[in-house]
Amino acid sequence: MNKIKEVWRSLTWSFDPKDKIEATKATSKNFWLHWFPARITYKSMSWTYSFWLGTVLFSLFLILTITGVILMFLYIPSAERAYWTIKDLENSVSFGWFLRNAHRWAAHLMVTTVFLHMMRVFFTGAYKNGGNPESNRPLNWIVGVILLVLTLGLSYTGYLLPWDQLALWAIVIGANIAKSVPPESIVGKNLYFFLAGGTQIDQPTLIRFYVLHCIFLPLLLLILSSYHMWRVRKDGGLAVSEQYKIEAKKLNKRLIQDEYTTFTIPFMFRRAFLVFLITTAIVLFFTIFAKAPLEEPADPTWTPNPAKAPWYFLWIQELIAITTIKIGDFTINGGFIGGALIPALLVFLWAIWPYLDKSPDEATGIWFHRSRIIHNIIFAIIMLYLIGITIFAMYFRGPYWQVYWPWRWPEIPHMF
Amino acid sequence: MDRRKFLAYIGRTAVVLTFLGQAFAYFRSLVPNTLYEPPKKFRIGYPKDYPEGITFVAKYRLFVIRERNSFWVISAVCQHLGCNVNVIPPKQEVVKIKGKEYKQKWEFFCPCHGSQYYGEGTNYGGPAPRPLPWYKLDIGPDGQLVVDANTEVDHKFRLIVENLG
Repeated sequence: MNKIKEVWRSLTWSFDPKDKIEATKATSKNFWLHWFPARITYKSMSWTYSFWLGTVLFSLFLILTITGVILMFLYIPSAERAYWTIKDLENSVSFGWFLRNAHRWAAHLMVTTVFLHMMRVFFTGAYKNGGNPESNRPLNWIVGVILLVLTLGLSYTGYLLPWDQLALWAIVIGANIAKSVPPESIVGKNLYFFLAGGTQIDQPTLIRFYVLHCIFLPLLLLILSSYHMWRVRKDGGLAVSEQYKIEAKKLNKRLIQDEYTTFTIPFMFRRAFLVFLITTAIVLFFTIFAKAPLEEPADPTWTPNPAKAPWYFLWIQELIAITTIKIGDFTINGGFIGGALIPALLVFLWAIWPYLDKSPDEATGIWFHRSRIIHNIIFAIIMLYLIGITIFAMYFRGPYWQVYWPWRWPEIPHMF
Repeated sequence: MDRRKFLAYIGRTAVVLTFLGQAFAYFRSLVPNTLYEPPKKFRIGYPKDYPEGITFVAKYRLFVIRERNSFWVISAVCQHLGCNVNVIPPKQEVVKIKGKEYKQKWEFFCPCHGSQYYGEGTNYGGPAPRPLPWYKLDIGPDGQLVVDANTEVDHKFRLIVENLG
């Protein structure tokens, strides 16, 4: 029995190290944990500083990968059969509904959490180096912005795979946004042709989005998020850790490692595992109590009215509808301005923001630091605007994308 | 440049070209050369089967309009982002298009982003950047209407069918 225990221990790791040496070895000698530091600062482990949103995201990605790979066995990326394999998930496959719901809810939560994570990092000024010449947090922020875009890309490509009405019209609009990139006859048309694999949305489009969703984008996300987490370690932990050095410098004190750090195993790992469990519980809650919708099979001859994008793209749909510029007979397509140009500019602005932020080192890793009040206000206004037009598009846009009061909904079909 | 440097340059260039060439091959293979799509010129049935007024031909996403023995077709694909526009009763019976009065019995509204078009296809509201295209219409040897979606025609186009059979 002892022999078995010994073998098991050598394969895994110690959760309750007896001494400092064993605690250090628990990370460095373990393949899965060796990229964690042996020690971690107390401030990095705070619940209320980071809310552990990065760990939540990693947990969600894990759930999405497991459910996603199983779904791949049950799904056929064929324009004729895709919809019916989803129907089978609902009606015939044992626990098919569970797989589909879990995958869908984990995806929605991932989109939400990725935005919350970005807001947390911004409002705490965590993209700052805090005077540490060794770290490069602005770079990690840029990687984070790319990860946000990848997450949205994964949601969008996954949204299309059921090949129902919702899917078809989302892809029609998405592909036509690509088509509206000027000059349309040179750039837009070829972009559409490459994305759709032809001049219309059909089988070649479905297989393209399927491969993007199952292989290309997840792989890219895995590589970049690994780099993202590795960089956190290279930057000396979460940005709030810089506060130890700043305080010590102010008091002219020497930092003693035992006073401000503790062992990753078991303390940080215990919390990370707890976060994973909570995340799983939340996903399971939604999975069991909220059904994933499925509309009628894709029908290119009939557009639902109104045809709305998923909630995380409603702000883009609203921007598309309101940004068409008309100068006489000449019209600039809102599909390009609202659908491509403004989102691209926003992403670019996010990416370069750390280089525009000239606030002092003390503002690193502090929620709503006074010196960053202007940054926080501008950021909050942009986020509130995006949330505002999302809500507007969700509840105040009716048939033909006209403005309605939400309580007038039942009357709307009789408007014409 | 000495011999050593020259050879190193050739070597590096060869390595770069090897990988760029492969990358190009991978990319190019994804641009289709053969399209298994329905043809852009197609038959849509006999003229006599179309009622007076406007008819939506779902399969080809277009409207066939008949006024006694004259016919024309307007695309139902919104010029904004490609949804199907719907036929709705007109807001105004008589509208001015480029200075000319036009009497309309219907309008087109798009469900996706609210583009609005007059009855003859001219965009007047919402985000649509250009009018709905009119396609060339002809009579085939078997007497069926033939639409050529590759050829756009102007708004004066009418196909007159003398013998409705």
